[in-house]
Amino acid sequence: MKNLLLCWGGDWDLPSVHTDSLIVLAYAKFSGAKLAVKSIDWTWRTITASVPQLHYEASTVTEPTQILNFLRKQRFNADYELTAKQGADTMAYIALLEEKLRPALLHTFWVDADNYANLTRPWFTSHSPFPLNFFVPGRQASLALSRILLTKAESPLLNITEVEGKIYSEAKECLNLLSHRLGNFHFFFGDTPTSLDAFVFGHIAPLIKAPLPSGQLQKHLNQLDNLCQFCNTILKNYFNASAEKRTDCSPTAIHDPVDANLQKLTQLVNKESNLIEKMDDNLRSSPQHRPNSTPPS
Amino acid sequence: MSLAAEAFVSQIAEDQILLSDSASSLAVQTFLRMCGLPVQVSCCANAEYMSPSGKVPFIHVGNQVVSELGPIVQFIKAKGHSLSDGLDDVQRAEMKAYMELVNNMLLTAELYIQWCDDYTATEISRPRYSSPYSWPLNHILAYQKQWEVRRKMNAIGWSGKNLEQVYEDVSQCCQALSQRLGTQPYFFNKQPTELDALVFGHLFTILTTQLTNDELAEKVKSYTNLLSFCHRIEQTYFKEHDRESQSGSSRHSKGSLP
Repeated sequence: MKNLLLCWGGDWDLPSVHTDSLIVLAYAKFSGAKLAVKSIDWTWRTITASVPQLHYEASTVTEPTQILNFLRKQRFNADYELTAKQGADTMAYIALLEEKLRPALLHTFWVDADNYANLTRPWFTSHSPFPLNFFVPGRQASLALSRILLTKAESPLLNITEVEGKIYSEAKECLNLLSHRLGNFHFFFGDTPTSLDAFVFGHIAPLIKAPLPSGQLQKHLNQLDNLCQFCNTILKNYFNASAEKRTDCSPTAIHDPVDANLQKLTQLVNKESNLIEKMDDNLRSSPQHRPNSTPPS
Repeated sequence: MSLAAEAFVSQIAEDQILLSDSASSLAVQTFLRMCGLPVQVSCCANAEYMSPSGKVPFIHVGNQVVSELGPIVQFIKAKGHSLSDGLDDVQRAEMKAYMELVNNMLLTAELYIQWCDDYTATEISRPRYSSPYSWPLNHILAYQKQWEVRRKMNAIGWSGKNLEQVYEDVSQCCQALSQRLGTQPYFFNKQPTELDALVFGHLFTILTTQLTNDELAEKVKSYTNLLSFCHRIEQTYFKEHDRESQSGSSRHSKGSLP
């Protein structure tokens, strides 16, 4: 019985451009769950389905938190080594991400006129079938705008421009807090990734990788080296298949980082020694050296 | 620069106030008491409209008005009083994260129970909210408020939840708080911070408010360290003002903890 996951497709070196889909994909890799991933691009599901969606036997689960709970019940648990306090911290940091970072992310991709017109809308239009491509981006954009206004704008601030300053400064503060918490570690709770890492990755990866024309938040994030490093480490170690390929998350796809480095090093050394041999041959066969005499030191 | 004038905390009137507003107001009062600042509570029916951001409670210091716990904490900090100076960066990140957890889960659950659960809305929330106004204004305002809250629930995805799931969320939130608190007196060991004020505000109000059923209070009561946390703060900061703020209404009585 395979689990089937429906999500948005990938681009910009990411397996998916959609935050919630990325969260589920990352968690599946961390916990070793085998998921058959199907992208909803160019299907009618772009407007009918609420993504990400997990199909198992006859049931359907939506929303990242519910899907992660479901995977945990199936014994794919990336959090089993966490203490009770760390579990509580996970809930708290996820709430922080939702309240402080998500509004600014929604604004950057869907409300900012420059980004929406030049990046988000063309991407979603080109990944939706005709005639949905006229409706899908607009619908997402209006959902994003209403979410921001309803949760962040109090009654005198009904105008989006007045809310912008507030949500961006909160988002920058949130990123700084995450950076402080991560410190010099690879992941948020030691050396193995957990669900909190999946949530943080899902939120910041699109912001790092998307080629945004106007991205003040992106600039701020690029200054936080440890968060960028965190994101790239996960991409390299867990998503080293290219974004277009949809492979199962089998354990062999997850390279041990030490082995991967060793492999690269071996290749380099082989290349170097081949070069040296060639050079040596050239030297020996050059007219200045006779085969028997030793080359000058 | 010390806080020369007294702070007036303005909230909605005693028999009009609802659970969520009462919790936020208590959180601010607790925070001010923890800072050692004198505070007076004044209630008026149109407090929501007096507030600069549309939300209660707000404080009135001299000729400045600041609303909501976040800006109030910053304002008090600018005046030279702060509870969280002793925290390092990682601890401050944790404190902010837990405050968001309380806002995200507890406050949203309170709003849901008050306004999206039909029975509670009809029996308690609408009558209380519209009590100072005459017909037809009371109907209009009550329904308008309910519609606003339902829109917000829709936007954040809570409209698909049923009451059981909301109680479950509250339980998980309390479990997280309980695990974080452990056996310490306050969340960051010996010194109370704004997180303690916020948690106390919400938990105390949930425990002492009578709703249509007691399930919410039962969920909180099952965590004994949270109960003793509330007792401790009540004893330390409120013992002399214990009975002053009790209302006469039997429906919505606030007393000491059971």
